[in-house]
Amino acid sequence: QIYSSDISSTIWGHLDFRLPPLYAAFVNGVAVHSMDFDDTWHPATHPSGAVLPAVIALAEAFPGEKKISGLDLLLAFNVGIEVQGRLLRFSSEARNIPKRFHPPTVVGTMGSAAACAKLLALDQPKCKNALAIAASYAGAPLANAATQTKPLHVGNAAKHGLEAACLASQGLQGNKQILDMESGIGAFYTDYNPQTLPTLQSYPWLLDQQDVAIKRFPAHLGTHWVADAASSVRRKLVESSDNLFPLDKIEKVILKVPEVKYVNRPSPASEHEARHSFQFVACSALLDGSMSVQSFTSENVHRPALRELLRKTQLEHPPDNTPSFESLYCEVSVTLQDGNTVTDRCDTFYGHWRKPLKKEDLEKKFQSNVSSILPAEAAEGIIETVYNLEKVEDCSVLSMFLSGQSARALSEKLHL
Amino acid sequence: PEETVTSSFASFIHAVRPEHLSKTVRHRSKRMILDSIGVGLVGSTTHVFDIALQYCRLYSSVAVSSVYGKPGIKLSPTLAAFTNGVATHSMDFDDTWHPATHPSGAVLPALLAASQMLPPGAKPNGMDFLLAFNVGLEVQGRLMHFSTEAHNIPKRFHPPSVVGTMGSAAATAKLLSLSTAQCAHALGIAASLAGAPMANAATQAKPLHIGNATRLGFEAALLAARGMEANPLILDDIAGCSGFSAFYSIYQPKPLSTPSDRHEFLLEKQDIAFKRFPAHLGMHWVVDAALSVRNLFLNYAGSFSPSLIRTIVLKIPVSKYINRPFPSSEHQARHSFQFNACTALLDGEVGLGSFTESSIHRQELRELLDKVVVEHPEDNVANFDKMYGEVALLLHSGDVLTGKCDTFYGHWRKPLSKESLLKKFRSNASHVLPEEKIETIITMVDNLENLSDSSQL
Repeated sequence: QIYSSDISSTIWGHLDFRLPPLYAAFVNGVAVHSMDFDDTWHPATHPSGAVLPAVIALAEAFPGEKKISGLDLLLAFNVGIEVQGRLLRFSSEARNIPKRFHPPTVVGTMGSAAACAKLLALDQPKCKNALAIAASYAGAPLANAATQTKPLHVGNAAKHGLEAACLASQGLQGNKQILDMESGIGAFYTDYNPQTLPTLQSYPWLLDQQDVAIKRFPAHLGTHWVADAASSVRRKLVESSDNLFPLDKIEKVILKVPEVKYVNRPSPASEHEARHSFQFVACSALLDGSMSVQSFTSENVHRPALRELLRKTQLEHPPDNTPSFESLYCEVSVTLQDGNTVTDRCDTFYGHWRKPLKKEDLEKKFQSNVSSILPAEAAEGIIETVYNLEKVEDCSVLSMFLSGQSARALSEKLHL
Repeated sequence: PEETVTSSFASFIHAVRPEHLSKTVRHRSKRMILDSIGVGLVGSTTHVFDIALQYCRLYSSVAVSSVYGKPGIKLSPTLAAFTNGVATHSMDFDDTWHPATHPSGAVLPALLAASQMLPPGAKPNGMDFLLAFNVGLEVQGRLMHFSTEAHNIPKRFHPPSVVGTMGSAAATAKLLSLSTAQCAHALGIAASLAGAPMANAATQAKPLHIGNATRLGFEAALLAARGMEANPLILDDIAGCSGFSAFYSIYQPKPLSTPSDRHEFLLEKQDIAFKRFPAHLGMHWVVDAALSVRNLFLNYAGSFSPSLIRTIVLKIPVSKYINRPFPSSEHQARHSFQFNACTALLDGEVGLGSFTESSIHRQELRELLDKVVVEHPEDNVANFDKMYGEVALLLHSGDVLTGKCDTFYGHWRKPLSKESLLKKFRSNASHVLPEEKIETIITMVDNLENLSDSSQL
């Protein structure tokens, strides 16, 4: 907030103050990833959070007369997603859950730069420079995952990509072969094999072949398999125990999960750690039946019943359980004191790209998220606008809703 | 309990005091501060600097921090740091250390901007400033010692973007008097802002690496000051989940000793190299070698006659990004053994003017460049402590004249004299400042320990 000035963009959910586009992109990007509730793709990254805040902030920053249409925004957004997906395919390392660099900081920055370059309608050489400059901002180590700093990764990806595009627009030049060289974007990978993109003639968008996963609760994607398996085990336990959850009779809980060190936390102490803990989500889902935003409050993270159950929980890493969002599974087994074991397995959780959320459930998630922040009309306005984005003549209406203003000129602006 | 590497760094940053600085360290670091300011001032005349400045001016509210060479303009602190960092590295004229990085440009701009940011009652004095500057250097040096990769000229990540960001975070955290825990978090946040690939070296984007290092390290400290937390083991080696180790393939961290024991700053044992002309450090060896063989040639032929030369052989270490037979831009020229050798042969010196468009493209120079052949002797290691440069002129007559340079003047083994350093500073600063201001800065930096308000700088 210390850097406010005249050119300004919306801070989502706030009518009371605005920030320069760069910092709006940053802050909104941080918000998007703050609870680890945002989308996940395969190969693994969080694609939208690195791009959307940047393009929305940028769209607001154009001088008065120039209007950005919904279609412009939609196209720029997709350019940002596509670039990320293509880059991820240049290394076999990217197919598994990461260990060294947090992917949004590598490809997300590049995607943001690409999307902003598109929105700015930069010529081809400047688009190249935007990518080159962005590469020099890319890359944050994984160790800050599960800490309060992780959301900054997405915020910075959005912000720095935007900055790179702006610098390119003002004439700054970088290495024209930034994507070709090992010492370019290749520096972030141990094996790197870039390929040229297909021609625009009937272009094969990656999002066409490979959908994203949308999370149902705010935690690392790997925990979603655990939650579904655990909820199912709880149902079985409750059925066979007079409709009561037999907490006292549980001897041990075994989770069969892939080996992913930064999500293996037997005793998380903060909300950030809890969102990155197979064990925590399993026990939470066993106790409550399902996971929600509330599962991660301080009271819930520290409640005695949960800590007791955590002490009885162990992980196992079957060799066939590969650390890839495309192929991992989770098996939850609860053994009771009388020797009985109840088990269930989840191969594809609801929300995964193989089992995508239905429209109603996606909207339900949206409404639940925004209900305490935006008035109902603004929420409705956003849903309508986004569904009809291609027809929107001036996408500033989206920003208007995002800042919480009501949908007075709804039909006018949408030109339906 | 066994101390982690990360917490030992945090403790060092927090607990080190001016008394811990030795005389040598104070002396050397003041030389670095002076050189860095001079380089930043002349850098404020470059095109890349203009772009950075125009960009930052879009965001200037709370504009309290000064910009090199632009008396009427002030920017917000982190953007001022960014702009001044870009200026410092814009011509590749700034200092170089061993293991390889450009230490001062990543630290000084953030400190200058931060000292202007602090309220009047809380301004750091010259000693605080000098101490914080040295903390920034020391952290960079210590981090580079964690990987053997760092000893050679880099190939993957540009060191200032890796360790420079951390150094800036450490220095700013010190100046802002953050608690030990906050210092640790500043380092942790900074790690997530570090790391730019080498490919942008020799392009106009390279100066951004230093600009961003100093700015983002500064931001990390500001965030930590406001309570942001990161991984408390960011510098330690944790298997399966990389922290700072992500930037290296071999990484062996060690805790820092607390300043209460006799802590020896790295600057005490290992001095810095100052450049005599604005090009990559490697160029300085071939230029000195070229000048030496040029003298021989002048004695031999009476004047410099390129037509007598059949071939020019350069014996240099292997390093792709500084091996450019025909550079086409100023940035490429600053990173070309061939270009610098030939310029030295042709002109008898290399200076600011050697890198203008007209100088780069002159006919006589292109003709000389055509005659160059490059060799990579096995004993010529790509390492600023060990490399050498050799220039041999093979004449049409059959005679061979050779010049070799093991240690160029300005290298840490043969440091610039006080007069030479001041000459460089005056020459740089005179592009943008009047004489009295120039002399004031010199005096102020020389007496930095006694300055009561470092924001005057």
